[in-house]
Amino acid sequence: MSFLELRDINTFIGQFHILEGVNLDVPAGDIVALLGRNGAGKTTTLKTIMGLTPARSGSVVFDGSDITDRRSFDIAAMGIGFVPEHRAIFADLSVEENLRIAEREKGDLEAKEDLIFGLFPDLKRLIRLPGTNLSGGQQQMLAVARALVPDNRLLLIDEPSEGLAPVIIEQMMEAIRQLSSHSTVLLVEQNFIVASRLAQHYVIVEEGTTVQAGAMADLVNDEETIKRYLGAA
Amino acid sequence: MTAQTTEKSLNKRVAEVIEENRARVTVLAVLLFLFLAAFAGLEREDWFAVIMQGLSIGAITFLVASGLSLIFGLMDVLNLAHGEIFMLGAYVGWTVYTRFDTALDIVIPLLFLAAPFVVMPVWRKVSGRLPTDPTPRRVASWALLAVGAVVTWMTVTRFPLAIWDSGDFTQSPGNFSTQVGLGILAPLTPDTFQGAAVVAVVGLLIGGSLLAIGISAFQTHVGEIRPVTRRQVGTAATLIVAAIVLSVFKDSLNQWAFDLSTTWRFFLAMAISVGVGVALGAFIEVLLIRPLYDRPIYQLMLTLGVGFILIEVVRDVWGRPEFSMARPALFNGTGEGCPGQGLGGFFSGCSTVQVFGARLRVYNEGFVILVGLIVLVGVTMLLKRTRIGMIIRAGVQDPDMVEVLGINVRRVFTLVFALGCGLAALGGVLAAPSIGLSTGMGALFLLGALIAMAIGGLTSFPGAAAGAVLVGLLQTLIIRFGQVGINIPFLAEPFEPSPTLVPAASIILMVIVLLVLPSGLFGRGER
Amino acid sequence: MTALARTESGLGVWFRRRRGLLGVIAALVLFPFVISFVVDGAGIAAVLNNDQGNARFLQGLAIEVFILALYAISYDLILGVTGLLSFGHAMFFAVGAYSFGIALKEFELAWPLALLVVLVAALLQAGLFALVLPRVKGITFALVTLGFASVFWIVIQSSDLADYAGAEIGLQGVRPPVWFLDTTNERFAFYLVTIAILFGVYVAYTRIIDSPVGKVLHATRENEDRALMLGYNTFWFKFLALGIASITAALAGSLYAMHQPIVTPSVAGLGFTVTALLIILIGGVGTISGAIIGAAVFRLLQYYLEKWFGGTSDLLIGIAYIAIVLYLPFGIVGTWRARSLRIKAGRDRLLGVFGGGQETPPPAEE
Repeated sequence: MSFLELRDINTFIGQFHILEGVNLDVPAGDIVALLGRNGAGKTTTLKTIMGLTPARSGSVVFDGSDITDRRSFDIAAMGIGFVPEHRAIFADLSVEENLRIAEREKGDLEAKEDLIFGLFPDLKRLIRLPGTNLSGGQQQMLAVARALVPDNRLLLIDEPSEGLAPVIIEQMMEAIRQLSSHSTVLLVEQNFIVASRLAQHYVIVEEGTTVQAGAMADLVNDEETIKRYLGAA
Repeated sequence: MTAQTTEKSLNKRVAEVIEENRARVTVLAVLLFLFLAAFAGLEREDWFAVIMQGLSIGAITFLVASGLSLIFGLMDVLNLAHGEIFMLGAYVGWTVYTRFDTALDIVIPLLFLAAPFVVMPVWRKVSGRLPTDPTPRRVASWALLAVGAVVTWMTVTRFPLAIWDSGDFTQSPGNFSTQVGLGILAPLTPDTFQGAAVVAVVGLLIGGSLLAIGISAFQTHVGEIRPVTRRQVGTAATLIVAAIVLSVFKDSLNQWAFDLSTTWRFFLAMAISVGVGVALGAFIEVLLIRPLYDRPIYQLMLTLGVGFILIEVVRDVWGRPEFSMARPALFNGTGEGCPGQGLGGFFSGCSTVQVFGARLRVYNEGFVILVGLIVLVGVTMLLKRTRIGMIIRAGVQDPDMVEVLGINVRRVFTLVFALGCGLAALGGVLAAPSIGLSTGMGALFLLGALIAMAIGGLTSFPGAAAGAVLVGLLQTLIIRFGQVGINIPFLAEPFEPSPTLVPAASIILMVIVLLVLPSGLFGRGER
Repeated sequence: MTALARTESGLGVWFRRRRGLLGVIAALVLFPFVISFVVDGAGIAAVLNNDQGNARFLQGLAIEVFILALYAISYDLILGVTGLLSFGHAMFFAVGAYSFGIALKEFELAWPLALLVVLVAALLQAGLFALVLPRVKGITFALVTLGFASVFWIVIQSSDLADYAGAEIGLQGVRPPVWFLDTTNERFAFYLVTIAILFGVYVAYTRIIDSPVGKVLHATRENEDRALMLGYNTFWFKFLALGIASITAALAGSLYAMHQPIVTPSVAGLGFTVTALLIILIGGVGTISGAIIGAAVFRLLQYYLEKWFGGTSDLLIGIAYIAIVLYLPFGIVGTWRARSLRIKAGRDRLLGVFGGGQETPPPAEE
């Protein structure tokens, strides 16, 4: 029995049929990488899990309960954290407020302070600055840190390495590795090297459909599959 | 190494900010120069009076514009009914202030009617039993609404209303009391309810329930139905109990209210108006705006229609709807020691005060501005210092992201909409004693508020405040120049704009500002 | 079959294709005579002699519907087809009404010259609206257009222009310049003139929407960036739509100035823009035939509600408006089309489209 289970998900955005049968299993405690080309439906899959683009048919089961038709805030409150692509931090809010807003109960931030600032010491230094003044890497750290404030059992992370300098990518990977000891992670990643070093399992989607899934160790040696579905990555 | 790069990027950023805001700074400087030039042509006491009058109009405009910009910022809804909620606030305040007995009589049936709406999950469950095919379901819901409306109408019209002759709504309480005072009409004794009081209560409850079922049946997509919470049942019970208590102690309450000084009654009117505004705002958001978040243009059209309906409601309920409202006693003193002198004169209880050689009205140029400032500070504190304010500020940027953090954004939407409408209603009561009541007052101030909001950048709260002050100052300035004339160089005769042209000035200001800066003076980015 | 059809003359095909439209026009022309016979018990002469009676009254009501329809069609072109949210459309109408009336009354121009004045005024104001197009979009455009219209509304009823526009009372005492524009003495002729203009405009509009220009306008509404990328200068297309709409609305305004004894400043107010909105909502946003049907439904609803309920009729219209916005977003024509579409392709595709209720141009099927 998987921790998170997607069965035959069909999602429409406007009149476009984006997901046409996505199946996905995330075992508890692991890191699973969701791979595929641009426009394959990876981000939409995460948004469908979060209820931002609700599925028209199929089911999303999280830890034994069906969350397909629930509202986003309800899904999040069950212990799912979402780090969207392009960071999406609140530019008008200070770093502290960006973290504070993710609190589900008063004092969440204080309880997690050591973890968060241990992973991202930069943020402690910048705590009073408004979000606009952060660099791209710092914004990405803040976006991940924000998902760590409440007790999330599952983290959905979309493109954490996108547009970052190699040094920062290393830091980000280390952070994700560390936080996976606290919660399960479903990771969307374009950079195959990053994904292969982090994840134990992989799922490949192509044109809105799951085409292959398995252990990451097998995929690394399967050059043909990598070439076919992931291009020259 | 890192410190150096941040420093460099900081310098760069400062330069960028200045670059970005060059047009903004220029526009502000030009405006300031124009104002200074305009004031240079006036006597000192004149310009002080003009500034204070401008601030007074600005304060009321701000009360409308602040809600408008909060609502637009958070949920992208331009609430064109805002002016009419302002107007309704004035009418409700007027009724509480001059006809407390009538107001109380209306509240009682409304409470009974509102109670069933609180326990909506029950009705969702009931309407879930209706046929699920779209056409029969729609017919069923319309039929329920019609039956509910008929039941409600039949009960409400038989309700005893003090002096207000429910059979003939053209007899407004105001007209009526004047005519009774002149001896033209004999005072009416309240109609007694035809039938037992129980029938009235049951009729209203049934009517409300039918309406609620009908409305809930419009949702064709029946998702997960939550069970009714204990709090909802409690609220409904409280409403019913409150209605019963009010009707039992009606006479003594009326006595108490009419024994109050007009000052206290005015504060009571303010509180009740704000309450009505908040309730109406929540009602509009939940029932009318919420189904349309994926169709923004229709939201706009809908709010236009709501405004139109509110005007008609006022026409139908208040009859010939132009009233004046006496200033409360605190700001209406005359005789000995009046007008008050200097800044302390504001607290002398006189109606006017002499400051810096200018004669100001304590209510208009004192109290109204004070309330405006209190609201400005209060809302700013709410936005900056509280968690809900933080959520609102975050929601203005990205409501979806707030939602995935586990916060029920829709509830925040309702709250902000209700708050905005409450502020507009407060503006209405405040404006009533100085400008009087008419059905056109809403459109007038909505226009001013829209202009203030557009100048301020649509979504910026401080921008709305600044824009409102600008609009107020400009309007009073133009009025003043209409009296003395503007000396335009190379023209022999001074140009004297007629008073009917005054509102055009601020509109032209808005158009110019928007054309130079499409995102307003304080807005961020293009919309 | 096809070979046979091809040998038929072009005119025959044209008539066959427009059978429905021609039928409607014929019915409308015959309508006063039928009323005269059936309701008034009078003959053909009664209509031609302009006798008092139901026939004359209903012609008057129908003329009002046609004028409203012209006005609503023009709004539909910029809102429904091109997707420009303008809150200043009442100004387009009022400029026509006032300029035609003032040109005739104050300057005593011959009527073709007065029409020329209206045309120039209409083009000027379309130019004014187009001028701001590159700067402001969406809601800001709506506010700027509302600003323009409000300034016009304020100026037209200010005491400074009382000699020309009649201040708050409005423009009155415009005498019809020519017999077929005389609604008092030659009602049937005026009735035929309005029918001719309305259906001329209708055919022209359907043609425009069918043409490549119409396709670009549609593309502008759906996705302006894409239209730009395809190499169309959308500004000129939007300007064109504004110009056509402005001329049409001004024409409607001119007819209004002929038909009504007084042109009040209220035709320049926001309320009159809302009327146009309401009409195209009833008919179906983006459908030209919907605007005509909407105008008829709106005017008749207004007339009969006022007759039956008196003062509360406006409240009922407001409630009907809210109900339409909430539950009948595609209007009468749009919903009807959606129904036939659903059988073919399913409604899902439709829901994504901005309230238009259609992607293909309307076939001529009245």
